[in-house]
Amino acid sequence: MEARIRPDLISAATAWVRKAWDDTVRLFAHVPFGVSLLAIWGVLTLIGVIVEQGKDPSFYADAYAPPIARLIVRLDLDNIYHSAAYIGIIGLILCSMAAATFTKVIPRRIPRLNPVKIDAIPLHATIHVAGDPESARERLAAFFAARGWQVRKREFGGTEWTFADKNNWARRGVLVAHVGFVLIAAGTTIYWAKGYSGQFAVLSGQTATIPESGTKIALQRFGFRIDPVQTKAGTVYQPIDYVSDAKVTGRDGVTHDAVIRVNQPYDADGTLIYQATYGFAIDFALTKDGHRIAGPDHPLKEGEGFAIDGTSRAIQYQRFVGTIDRTTGQPGADPRPNDPGVVIQAFDGDRPVGGALIPLGRPVDLGAGYRLEAARYVLYSGFQYRYDPGIPVVGLGAFVLVAGLCISFYFLPARLFVLVRDAAGGGAEVGLAATTVRGYEVFEQRFAEIVEALRRSEPAPQTEVTTAPVTQTV
Amino acid sequence: MDPTRELLDQTLLKIGIAAYVTGALVLFAYFLSRRPVLRAIGMPLAIIGAVAQFAELGARWWMTGVWPLTNLYGSLSLFSAVAVTIFVIFAYRYQMDFIGGPVLALAAIALGYATTWNEGYMPAVPALQSYWIKIHVPIVISAYASFMLAFCLSVLYLFKAAVENRYRGRTIRLRGAAAGGSNANVNVAVNAYAVQPAAVGVLRSDTPGLDAAAASDAVAKWLTSLPSLAKLDIMQYRVIAVGLPLLSLGIITGAMWAKEAWGAYWQWDPKETAALLSWIVYAAYMHLHTRPNLRGTFTAWISVIGFVSIVFCYLGVNIWISGLHSYKM
Repeated sequence: MEARIRPDLISAATAWVRKAWDDTVRLFAHVPFGVSLLAIWGVLTLIGVIVEQGKDPSFYADAYAPPIARLIVRLDLDNIYHSAAYIGIIGLILCSMAAATFTKVIPRRIPRLNPVKIDAIPLHATIHVAGDPESARERLAAFFAARGWQVRKREFGGTEWTFADKNNWARRGVLVAHVGFVLIAAGTTIYWAKGYSGQFAVLSGQTATIPESGTKIALQRFGFRIDPVQTKAGTVYQPIDYVSDAKVTGRDGVTHDAVIRVNQPYDADGTLIYQATYGFAIDFALTKDGHRIAGPDHPLKEGEGFAIDGTSRAIQYQRFVGTIDRTTGQPGADPRPNDPGVVIQAFDGDRPVGGALIPLGRPVDLGAGYRLEAARYVLYSGFQYRYDPGIPVVGLGAFVLVAGLCISFYFLPARLFVLVRDAAGGGAEVGLAATTVRGYEVFEQRFAEIVEALRRSEPAPQTEVTTAPVTQTV
Repeated sequence: MDPTRELLDQTLLKIGIAAYVTGALVLFAYFLSRRPVLRAIGMPLAIIGAVAQFAELGARWWMTGVWPLTNLYGSLSLFSAVAVTIFVIFAYRYQMDFIGGPVLALAAIALGYATTWNEGYMPAVPALQSYWIKIHVPIVISAYASFMLAFCLSVLYLFKAAVENRYRGRTIRLRGAAAGGSNANVNVAVNAYAVQPAAVGVLRSDTPGLDAAAASDAVAKWLTSLPSLAKLDIMQYRVIAVGLPLLSLGIITGAMWAKEAWGAYWQWDPKETAALLSWIVYAAYMHLHTRPNLRGTFTAWISVIGFVSIVFCYLGVNIWISGLHSYKM
């Protein structure tokens, strides 16, 4: 059987869809709705500032009361910036901006060139000037044109009006700012789609490879400088410089010398390599009954460990101590490797069974004939790398956003309505009124300055400035 | 450190604090009495304080060779100096001198608090050894300083609106004269034409009741000597219109610096997100200010909330929340 859809149903459905669309657009273009979205965005952002992000659930269980910890984990507040709610609210804001821009901002115009009742406009003034109205009009047109106003004349019912506009183009400032915001969002999306980033650590004398680009980084040497600085609170050891001397081999197979510092990344085929961190890798030597046995096969970095063969025990290298205070045997304040040691933690299975600070080069007895020695340290350098093809778009968006804000705030579209008539006592009477796209208060001082400048530039007879009466409505 | 140079540094700092404290007292007196002689004394003190502070920061740079904004002491010093500078500019351009007392008082508090973080002359950590610190930090601090001035105006607005309500019983809604001005039966003494055209209301507090009360009531008389609420609202708008582009530029330059230092222009660091939060609040202010029926008390409260968020972003995050921006020393 052939199914037929009645035309009136189609038109009703079309009308319903159109109305729903119009209602949705109207809602999204409504400023309070947009501001409500901003408020929700702000609250979510505040939560992200207060609640530490990206931690293990056990961290929240320790840091907060159980109900709050559960709330944080279940509502994804521990990763709020990548949550559906956060991304969704930004999406809604972009929709709101688009709706407001195309239904309100762009259509907003300075009123058409029509005559007005001068004294009904809140910003108005009346000035008496010398000469006949025609010559006064010419002088006024020249006056405004010399000050950057676009002057146009129109005749309505035998009465000639002069209209002067300034910064009419600037009403597009909001559009420009919104476009900037969209460009930033687009640039960020390009990174998500095409970019990559990561981090790696490489020991002095060793080579690491960036998997996405195949770039090889051979670390020749890592150096750091930490200076003792005398402050009012005592001696502070202030980091001054971290520098990695490396050889970088790019896609073309050519090797280049690279000096990589904080704030001075190295560009390898568009992938930027950053000096991020450094550390002291330790060569551990394990013996049993005086004989070397299998231990770690490479220098361990902080946090790494190894199992002791034939036992349920394991050793974790926790951190490097630059200077052991000889008087206390505890870590000293100086982080530089003067009398270095390492903090280790022993485990039996998963259970910690004890920790110790052991000086470098001095074996420590682990019991049952085992002895462990932190033989030497090897400096390693930690790098971050990032390839972000969206950067130019983000940069352009940032520029456009700021330009849009500046246009919106500092270039006020305004119009002056000027009506010149014969004055009763001779000369001409100039009626002057002003309007802007942002109300009257914002133009009040400027209008007073214009009137004053006009008064000074015009020959007598005398001038008089009047202001509009207002009505109180309670 | 050369003792002579250190003495110069300390002397300039003391001049700055003394000028702010004295200027704050004098301009508070001007705020209450509106006697021009007090303004004539207070404004130069504000200028002297700001100049001394800029000189002090310059002296530190000259003495150590280290850009002086690498710690909280330096940035708070710049904050108070820029706040006073912006105040002076706005005072002369937009007759905002009446707010000088609160602004100088806050500048003095900021500078006094800054001295508690002054650990002497410290070299910069590697992350701060960048030309971006000469671009990003002054821009952001200038934005914060603008918002401080806006905050003072907002508090004054809310205070004036609240007190005026006592005289009036409730806020009245004034409408511009209808076509032809035929219903002109009340003349408002101050800022008579600063109202919206017919059929578009704007909240104002200039009331005949207040004018009448001014004859016998000292508080009412004082209130009438201050700018109208409509003018105070526009003053806040103008200052925030300076601060918001600066904050935007500050966030953008910070992102560019972060890209260079840490490999990502945005890492959701607490400082970054707190700055974003402040930006959102002031963006909301600007959007709400486009609505005549929301301008006034509501937007003034948003401005106050905005400055609270700025304080949280500036000091709270630096001091209480650890992150990439924790350069307390």
